[in-house]
Amino acid sequence: MKKLLLACVVLLLLSTGISLAQDTPVEITYMMWGSPEELAVWQVIVDDFEAANPNIQVNVDVSDWDSYWSRLQTLFAGGTPPDVFAMDAPLYRDWQSRGVLLNLQPYLDANPTALDGVYPSTLEAYQLEDGIYGLPRDFQTIVLFYNKDLFDAAGLDYPNEDWTMDDLRAAAAELTVDVDGDGVTDQWGLYADLYDMELFWSSVIWSYGGEILNEDYTQTLLAEGPARDAWYFINSMAVEDRSMPDPTQVTQYGDPFAAGVAAMTTIGHWVIPEYADLPFGWDVAPMPSGPEGRATSVNSAGFVVAANTPNADAAWQFIQYAISSTGQTRLTELGFAIPVLQSVAESPVFLEQQTAPINHQVFLDALEYAHVKPSFRGYEEWAAVVGDGLLPVWNGEISIDEALDSIVPAANDVLAANQ
Amino acid sequence: METGLKPIGREQWWVFLLLAPTLFGLLFGVFGSVFATLGISFFSWDLLTPPQWAGLENYLSLLSDPAFGKSLANTTLFSLTYVPGVIVVSLFVALLLNRRIRGVSIFRLIYFLPVISSAVAVGLVWSWIYARDQGILNVLLRGVGLQPVNWLSSQMALFSVVIVNVWGAIGEGMIVFLAGLQAIPRDYYEAAQVDGATAWQEFWKITLPMITPSIFFQAIISTINAFQAFEYIYILTRTTGGGSSVPTVVFTIYRTGFNYFRMGEACAQAVVLTVIIVVLTIIYFQMQRRWVVYE
Repeated sequence: MKKLLLACVVLLLLSTGISLAQDTPVEITYMMWGSPEELAVWQVIVDDFEAANPNIQVNVDVSDWDSYWSRLQTLFAGGTPPDVFAMDAPLYRDWQSRGVLLNLQPYLDANPTALDGVYPSTLEAYQLEDGIYGLPRDFQTIVLFYNKDLFDAAGLDYPNEDWTMDDLRAAAAELTVDVDGDGVTDQWGLYADLYDMELFWSSVIWSYGGEILNEDYTQTLLAEGPARDAWYFINSMAVEDRSMPDPTQVTQYGDPFAAGVAAMTTIGHWVIPEYADLPFGWDVAPMPSGPEGRATSVNSAGFVVAANTPNADAAWQFIQYAISSTGQTRLTELGFAIPVLQSVAESPVFLEQQTAPINHQVFLDALEYAHVKPSFRGYEEWAAVVGDGLLPVWNGEISIDEALDSIVPAANDVLAANQ
Repeated sequence: METGLKPIGREQWWVFLLLAPTLFGLLFGVFGSVFATLGISFFSWDLLTPPQWAGLENYLSLLSDPAFGKSLANTTLFSLTYVPGVIVVSLFVALLLNRRIRGVSIFRLIYFLPVISSAVAVGLVWSWIYARDQGILNVLLRGVGLQPVNWLSSQMALFSVVIVNVWGAIGEGMIVFLAGLQAIPRDYYEAAQVDGATAWQEFWKITLPMITPSIFFQAIISTINAFQAFEYIYILTRTTGGGSSVPTVVFTIYRTGFNYFRMGEACAQAVVLTVIIVVLTIIYFQMQRRWVVYE
C-alpha cells in the first residue's frame, strides 16, 4: 500500500513536472547569414511558427556572410552559442567534427516521416555514419545564365540543352568584343568565378570525367587525368581566348553579367531577385555537357543545433516547421532559394514565382546530373590554397601546369593536417 | 629629461587621478588582449572546443607554414619600400611647404586630407585609378602610346599598394617634419649665409642634421604602421575567399584564426609580428646614438 502511494506521488510529481515543462515558455535563437529581405521573410515564418507553438519564442539574428562566421565562433568561444544556426554544407564537417553540433538522429527515429519528400541529394552532405547533425534548409544548383540582348545583337542562337563545352567556348569567343573600338575588350563571352569550385570549375572537371578529391578526402585529384584536361579547357577560354574577364578586370564591374558586359555567367538561383531588375532580357539554360556528359554542382544551406543547447526539443520543432510544406512555401516566395521539399519545388510556388519569368525548371532538372559539393574538414583552407594558387594563372602570370603542380602538394598538406 | 616641473607632495595624487582614465583603458583594454594573445599562443584552440596546452607547437608550426612565410616576406618587402618612401616624400613635401608662399595653408590642408579621409572610400578611388581597362593610369599610358600595366596583378600589386600607402601617409609625415623644420633657429641659416653657404650646403649641413630627431620619430612610426598596414591593401587586393593577391601578416592572422579554426596559431603569428616590431624599435634606438643630433 505504501509503495503504491509512493508510486502515485511520484507519478503525480512527474506529470506536473512534465506539464510544467510544457507550459514554461521557451526562448530559442536562430542565427543565419543573409540580407535584410531574408530577415523579413524569416520573421514571417517565425510568426507563423509561434502562432502554432505558443510556448516557443524564436529570435532571429541575421548577419552578412563574413561577420556571420566570426560572430558565431566568438559566441561559441564565449559559451553562449545560438540554439539553431545556419550552416553552409561544405563547412559542416569542420563544425561537426569538433563535437559542437547535436546529433538529430534520435529525433528522426522518433519522427520517421520527418524527411518524407525531401530531395535525397540535399541530405547527402549531412548524413554521417553515426547519425545526421544537420538538415538542409534550401539548396542551390548551378546553371548557365545568358543575356538575350547580347546574343540577339551578335545574331547567335541562345544556349540550349544540346550545348557542349566546345559550343560554350565558341559562343564566348564570338561574344567577346571591343564594342567602342578603342583597342580594349569591353564585352566578354563568359564570366564565371574561378576561385571557389562551386560556380564553374567543379562542373567542368566532373563533365570531363575527372574528380576533385578522393572519397575519404585525403588526396587532391584535381590535376590528374581528365581533370587536368578540364583545366586546359578553362585555361583556353580564360587565358588563350581571353573570352572571360580576368580577376583584375572583374573588380572593375563587380558582377560583369549584371553590369551587362558578360554575355553569360554560371551561378545559382540566389541571384534571381537581384537579376529580376536588370535592364536587359535574360534566361537560363543547363550547364553545357563535357566529353563525359553533363554535370553541375549542388550545395545546400542547412540547419544545425548547438550540442549543448538546453532547448533541443524546441529547436527540433522549429526546424521541423521550417522544412515543412508551410515553411518551405514561405521561403520559396522569397525568390532566393530552391525548396528542399520536392512537392513545393514542383508546385507553382517555385516554378511560376513572380520574381522573374524564366525557366525555373532548369534548376530542378539539374539535380539529375548534379554532384554534391564536397564537404570535409579544412574545406576553407583547402579552397584558399587552390583559389589563391590559381589567381596568377587567370592574370596571365604563370602557366596552368605550373600552378596545378604547386597547388596539389600544398592542398594535400592541408588535408593531412585536418585528418 | 631633467627639465620641466616635477609634482611635489599632494600634487602627485592629481597626477594619478588625471592619468587614471587612460591607465584604466590601457590596463583592461589593451594589455588585457595583449596578454590574452600571448597566453592563447601556447594553446591549441579552435574557438569551439576547450583550448589544449600546446607549448611551443604553434610557434614551431609557423616555421613550416608556407602561407605565413609568404605573408612575412610580403610584409617585409612592403616595409622596406614603404618606410624610406614615406620619409623621403613627406620630407620633400614639408620642405616645399616650409616657406612663405601664397596659399601655403591650402597646400598643407590638401596634403593632410588623406589622413583624415575614410581609407575605404580612398581605397575605392585608387582602385578606379589602377583599374585594368578603364583606369585613369592605363588610359594615360595608352594615350601616350605605351603598353597598359596590370597594376593590381599578383606581381605588380605590392608595388601599387606601397604607392597608395605612401601617398596616404604624406600628411602625417609632413606635419612631423614641418614641426621639426620650424624649430630650427633662424640664426643658423643667417650665420651660414654670412659664410657664403649655398642652399644645397645649408640643407645637408644644417637642415638635415637638425631634423634627425623628426626623421627618427617618423621612421619608428612608419615601421609600426607598415607592419600593421591593412585597409588599402584589403580594398585594392582582396580576393573572393577573404584573401589577398599580396597577403600580409595581418591577413594570415585573421584567416588562420577565424577561417581555419587555429586561433592559437593566429595568436602566435601576432606575437611574432609584435616581437619583430619591438626588435626593430630597439635597433632604431640603438642606432639613434650614431646619427640623431639633439641640440
